[in-house]
Amino acid sequence: MDGKNEQFSQIYDQYIDKIYRFVYLKVSSQETAEDITSKVFLRGWEAFQKQDSDIKNPGAFLYQIARNAVIDHYREKGRTNVISSESLPDLSDTSENIHEKAVLSADVRLVKDAIAEIKKEYQDVIIMHYLEDMSVDEIAKLLGKPSGTIRVMMHRGLKDLRDKVQES
Amino acid sequence: MTKLTEKQLIETLRCLKEIKPREDWAGLLKAQILAEKKEAVVAEKIGIMEVLSNVFLQRKMAYSFATLAFLIIGLIGFAETTVPGDLLFPVKKLAEQSQAALLGQTGIQKSVAVLNNRINELAQATKDGKSESVSSAITEISANAKDLAEGLKNNTIDDKNAIQQIADSLKVLADTGADLSNDQDVMDLYQIVAANQIEDLQNTTLTDEQKLILAEAESLYEEGKYADSLEKILTINN
Repeated sequence: MDGKNEQFSQIYDQYIDKIYRFVYLKVSSQETAEDITSKVFLRGWEAFQKQDSDIKNPGAFLYQIARNAVIDHYREKGRTNVISSESLPDLSDTSENIHEKAVLSADVRLVKDAIAEIKKEYQDVIIMHYLEDMSVDEIAKLLGKPSGTIRVMMHRGLKDLRDKVQES
Repeated sequence: MTKLTEKQLIETLRCLKEIKPREDWAGLLKAQILAEKKEAVVAEKIGIMEVLSNVFLQRKMAYSFATLAFLIIGLIGFAETTVPGDLLFPVKKLAEQSQAALLGQTGIQKSVAVLNNRINELAQATKDGKSESVSSAITEISANAKDLAEGLKNNTIDDKNAIQQIADSLKVLADTGADLSNDQDVMDLYQIVAANQIEDLQNTTLTDEQKLILAEAESLYEEGKYADSLEKILTINN
């Protein structure tokens, strides 16, 4: 295994769960999440294999690809359904997931479903901060927004999420 | 669902870390990506090698061709001023043949051009006092005259301009002072050209003075003095 291969292998091992989870929580479908995650790592690999590539933060890079891939997915789905992209969170897949049922309690599944219903930008910050343990500054850098804005988004996102959970 | 505190919500959120991709799928995806990478690298290496080798081969060939062309052009350039007997004279002859082929010259036209060149070279060699070259030039002229004479004998002479050119060249040859009276091939050429020129003049309206010169030319021709006969004819034409 050459240097690049080994490096990418380590990156893959480090981020496969995180990226899959990030995608899965946004699309709520194992099949779609696997499909999008595959594309994310393939695109990551394509960028990584370029001789002149200078990816300083592979994690941030992969999350960025994942965000764009999810947007592309919903855009494509929106085209098919002739629905405005403003209502993206409502377009999440609702297919049954046996694995999910096996490992997640009913309460946790409720929260998971509620995540898919809040605004996309709130989803990002909540998943990144509370599930992937990214700091506010890291998220701010990744999303290209001020740290203060991220804090506000986290606060509003949590509020919306709690409302959605209690509505269900 | 009962009312959740923010803390409880965050704790529940953290439980979502249990969501993981299927192990077999994750392993397969990794293997596919790395395998594709390996294949791509191999293909890329092969591609690069092919491209490089092609580029180098093409460059090598291009440089070789350019060098060869440069050498040939230089050689031909040097050979241009050579006279029979010189080292590069065969190159000049080769270049003449190529030039004739490029210009699409026929057998007679080509032989006339070559004869003209050889006679000019003889004139140059005589002027420069190169006795060896004079001797070689005469040999060349003799061989060329033989080809030309045979060509003229075997073909109907339609190209009057070619005959006139041969006549002019033979005049230059006579002016060089080279004694070719014993060269049968050259004399045959003189005979053919003189006969052709006399026939032409007989069918042309001439002044009385020109008629006298033509009569002298005919007389010389009858005596077998073809070179002298042609010399007379050329005075009428000029």
